[in-house]
Amino acid sequence: MLQIKPILAALKRHKAGTVLIALQIALTLAIVCNALFIIQQRTEHLSRPTGMTETNLLTVANRWVGADDKATPSLGKTDLEALRRMPGVVDATLTNSYPLRGGGWSTSVNTTPEAKKEMAHTTLYFTDDHALAAMGAKLVAGRNFRPSEIEWVDAKEFQTTPVVIVTKALADKLYPDGSALGKVLYHSGHTKPSTIIGIVERLQVPWTGTWASNFAENTILIPRLLTGNFGSYLVRTQPGQLERLTKAVPKLLIQTNRMRVIPEERGVRTFAQVREQAYKSDRGMAILMGVVCAVLLAITAAGIVGLTSFWVGQRRKQIGVRRALGATKHDILSYFLTENLLIGAGGVIVGAALAIGMNLWLVSHFEMERLSLLYVAAGVIALLLLGQGAVLAPAMKASRVPPVEATRSV
Amino acid sequence: MLKMTHLSKVYRTEVVETYALRDFNINVKEGEFVAVTGPSGSGKTTFLTIAGLLETFTGGHYHLDGIEVSQLNDNARSKIRNEKIGFIFQAFNLIPDLNVYDNVEVPLRYRGMKAAERKQRIMDALERVGLASRAKHYPAELSGGQQQRVAIARALAGSPRLLLADEPTGNLDTQMARGVMELLEEIHREGATIVMVTHDPELAARAQRNVHIIDGQVVDLAEEPRFHAHNARVADA
Repeated sequence: MLQIKPILAALKRHKAGTVLIALQIALTLAIVCNALFIIQQRTEHLSRPTGMTETNLLTVANRWVGADDKATPSLGKTDLEALRRMPGVVDATLTNSYPLRGGGWSTSVNTTPEAKKEMAHTTLYFTDDHALAAMGAKLVAGRNFRPSEIEWVDAKEFQTTPVVIVTKALADKLYPDGSALGKVLYHSGHTKPSTIIGIVERLQVPWTGTWASNFAENTILIPRLLTGNFGSYLVRTQPGQLERLTKAVPKLLIQTNRMRVIPEERGVRTFAQVREQAYKSDRGMAILMGVVCAVLLAITAAGIVGLTSFWVGQRRKQIGVRRALGATKHDILSYFLTENLLIGAGGVIVGAALAIGMNLWLVSHFEMERLSLLYVAAGVIALLLLGQGAVLAPAMKASRVPPVEATRSV
Repeated sequence: MLKMTHLSKVYRTEVVETYALRDFNINVKEGEFVAVTGPSGSGKTTFLTIAGLLETFTGGHYHLDGIEVSQLNDNARSKIRNEKIGFIFQAFNLIPDLNVYDNVEVPLRYRGMKAAERKQRIMDALERVGLASRAKHYPAELSGGQQQRVAIARALAGSPRLLLADEPTGNLDTQMARGVMELLEEIHREGATIVMVTHDPELAARAQRNVHIIDGQVVDLAEEPRFHAHNARVADA
C-alpha cells in the first residue's frame, strides 16, 4: 500500500536523522562511484597487453663493474653470443628498456623537422635485430633491422638513426591515413629524418602510470645498443625451459664475466614477475579503494540499521496503534521499507550530483577520465538495495510489534 | 454483536499461571452502550484487548458480529479490527508526527480506500466531532479533549460496527470529560454499539448497562438498562 504522503509528513518532523542518513548515503554514493571507477580504470590498465609474447620470456638486469663504457660493447656482444648458444634459448637481445620495466627513454616526434608542437610522445627502445624475436613482438608491415644497421652508441651522443621500427599506434598517430611505412619521422629538436622501415602490432611503453596512458603504445625501436650500464637482456626460451634457464642464465653470465652485478632482487625475472611487480601499486590501490568502499558501505548500512532500530524502538507504541487500527504485519514492514526508500532516494539524488561533481573536480585537477553515468546508475541501484537490505531486519522487528502495544503505557 | 462464552486468558511463566480472565461470559447486543467497570487488575483491559482482537485468548469462544474469531489468522484479525472496530484509548494514541487529517486517515488507508472517499469520510468525521477547522493541526497543538475528539473521529471515520473505549475520559479534566461523554452518548443514540471500560461510576451510570469484573470474571451483569452493580448477578452469556 502506498503510504508516501504520510511518511513524508512524518519525516518532516524528524529532519535531523533523515537529513543525516540521506547525506551519509549521498557521500557514500559519491565516493563509491568514483572509487569504483578508478578501480575499474586501474584494473583495465592491469590487463593491457604489452605486445610481447609474455610466456617463456626472461629478463636479466646487468651492471658491469669497473668496465669502461667503451669496453661494454664487446662485453655485451660476448654475453649475447653466449646466451644465444645456450640450449633452450630461442633468442636473446639487449635493450635499454622494455614494456613494464618502469624506467626508460621518452621523447616527442613529428613528421616534419620544423614542427613546433609535438605530434606524439613516444618511448625509445635501443636494441638490435634480435629484439622482435626475443620480445615475441609481431611485425605487421615492413621489415626487421638488418645486422648491418646495428651500432653501439654512447647515450649522451645519440642523435637519430636513418631507420626505425615503430608501433602501429604511433604510425597511425603520425600518419592517420595508414601510409607510415617508408615515411619519415623527426625526433624533437633534430633535423635528420628517420625512415620507418617496419611497423609492429603493439609494444607497450615501460611505464604503467596514468601519466603515460596517453602514449601507452607509442614506441620506436632504434637500431642502436647503448654503451655503459644501460642494458637488460631479454631471453626468449623454448617452452618448458623457463624455470631451468631462470637459474642457468645468471650462472652462465657470471661464468662468462664475473665483473658484473646481477641484483638479487629484480635481477633475473620472468616476465610474469615483471608484470606482477609493475602493477603491484595499482593492485594495491585497487584493493585499498575496494576496502574503503566496503567500509563506507558497511558504515552506511550500519547507520541505516541503527537509525531504523532507534526509530522502531521510539515508535513502538505508534506501531501498536497502527496495528490496532488495522495495519497488517506487511503494512508495517512496507512502511519502514518505503520510509527508507524515500530517504535513500533523497540521498542518491544528491549523491549522484555529488559523484559527478567530484569526478569533474578530479578530471580538472588530476589526469582522470570522465565518470561513466553507468557507474552512477549502478551506484544508485546498489545504494538503494543496500538501504533496503539494511532496513529489513529492524523493519521485520517492527512488524512483529503486537497490536496490544497500543494499550500499554509508555 | 459481541459474545464471549467461557472465555479464559492465562499468562504463563515457567513457574506460575495467572488467569487474567476465567470463565468469562458476556453478550453485548447491537446498539447497546455497555460500561465495563471493576477495580484495577480485575481484567477490564484484558477483556477490552481481547474484544478488540488486539490479543488472543487461551480458551472459550468469542463471536464478533457473528464471526468466531479464535481461528482467524493475523491478517484476518487486522482486517476485522480495521473494518468492524473503532478504538478510543485513554491516552488518545494519536500519531504525533501526523496532523489531525492524516491521523484520521490512518485506518482508512489500511482499508485501501480511494483518496476521494477517504477525504469525504475524514471531513465528515471531523465535522462530527467539531474539529474540521483543526485538520492541519498536529496533536501537540490541541488540548486533551480535542485530541480525544480526534481519536473519536478516527474511530468513527471507518463506520465501525463496534466502538471500544478504554477509559476515554481518564486523561481529561471534568469539563472535557463531560464533552467527550456527551459525544459518545450522541454517537450511541445514532445507533452505534459501544463498550466502554471505566473506573468512573458516574460515567458508568450514563451507559445503558453495566458489567462489573472482579478477578477476571463477570460478577455483576444486568440485562436491563440502568441496572446497577449492587443488584446484579453473574451473567449467563
